[in-house]
Amino acid sequence: MSDNAKGAPGRSTLSLHKLGVFCGLAAAVWLGSAEAPTKLVNAGFSPFIISMGMVMGAFVARWTVPTLLKGTGFLFDDLRDKPHLIVWAVIAGMLWAVGNTLTIFAVRNVGLAIAFPLWNTNSLVGLFWGWLLFKELRGSGIKEWSKVLGGAFAIVGGASILAVATASHSDTPGKAAIGIIAAIGAGVMFGTMYIPYRKAYISGMNPLSFVTIFTFGELGTVFLLTAINLGGVSSLAAELHRARPMLFWPFLGGFCWVIGDLFQQYAAKYIGIGRGIPLSNTNQLWGLAWGALVFYEMSGLNPAAKMLIFTGSAIMIAGAVAISMADPGESELVNWRFAMDRECDRYRLNTEQVAAVVAGDDPLAGQPHPRRWWEMLVMCTAVGVFVWLALGTRAQQITISLPWTIALVIGTLIPLGVCGTLLWQRTRFS
Amino acid sequence: MKQRSTLFCILTDVHLWVPVVVLILGTALLMTLR
Repeated sequence: MSDNAKGAPGRSTLSLHKLGVFCGLAAAVWLGSAEAPTKLVNAGFSPFIISMGMVMGAFVARWTVPTLLKGTGFLFDDLRDKPHLIVWAVIAGMLWAVGNTLTIFAVRNVGLAIAFPLWNTNSLVGLFWGWLLFKELRGSGIKEWSKVLGGAFAIVGGASILAVATASHSDTPGKAAIGIIAAIGAGVMFGTMYIPYRKAYISGMNPLSFVTIFTFGELGTVFLLTAINLGGVSSLAAELHRARPMLFWPFLGGFCWVIGDLFQQYAAKYIGIGRGIPLSNTNQLWGLAWGALVFYEMSGLNPAAKMLIFTGSAIMIAGAVAISMADPGESELVNWRFAMDRECDRYRLNTEQVAAVVAGDDPLAGQPHPRRWWEMLVMCTAVGVFVWLALGTRAQQITISLPWTIALVIGTLIPLGVCGTLLWQRTRFS
Repeated sequence: MKQRSTLFCILTDVHLWVPVVVLILGTALLMTLR
């Protein structure tokens, strides 16, 4: 924020805007790919249990990845420096959980075609909160406004076209109003969840520390809501036991989701929520690629539907390109700085240190943080859980295209490698 | 000037109340819809 173009001495000189754009796009790839493992789950399980399985996998990953990358010493030091943000991280997790449960109701009642575009408006809600509370886009000219706002609307519009063209429609018209209200509610919940994200990052918190706390709000609330919806904790335990042979897949989906979410967090940090969230919302393109190429979901579509898919995808890509080219100008960066100063004044944070972290150069990262024995325990437990789940998994009777699976797995790993390297070279995962 | 406590700063922060109000409304909506 103090300087959007230069890196710390000896580091990459990639601009933070470009880094944030890469993170937003990598987030889209991984968030979209997270849907693939859940497609391997045969029908017959409650969506609440599949969601619960994903969140449990995410819980494991949200501790493992930060521990692997930074170590628990760094994470605890970071949290100790800004303990007030623990409240926001937990609230963000709770917002996600309630929003996600609302999406289940929305899909059940109106189908994905109507529900998805409605909750995908979360990027517009996030953009509004970014403008109102964190001075994003303040001081920028009409050109930047039109690129960001136009890009965000294009992504929502493209998503709507894709959803209409690909999703199966609901046969429960009587419940349409409930579904629409639930989908709008989900959009508001997800969009508001980005307030804690942005607050944490302009206060100098590391995204890896944020997600380790976020996950408690997420898992706790999902557990509570699932138990309520299934009729009690004993019913939930029984359902989880019944779902044991397929639980590996939502766990794997949850793991992929966390990688995508981490990139989304870095995007929110380096380009703000107004730009970062619409970019990561292009994840629908990747979900579509998995569905169409690997799971043959488009084989029965007529040419008109295929044309709609092409049009929707093109509009989404155009929106992403527009946002990618909307660098914040000097006057906008001054406003970002005001938002950061507010946090420093209010919570008595070291302004110089926070400014350095926000610019991708965390002084805390320079201090020695020796690895602890329990970090190995965290790793072994995480690997053990996945191996245990994989061993008990029954083969699913679903036809997939092996060449496309390999191609898309490679296409998913490349952004991880490229963006991970860029983040390391420019910020040391700051 | 007396410094305000961190708890006071958190409780009077509009950044807290916006998500909390949305969370309460969302949870109420969820409980109504089920």
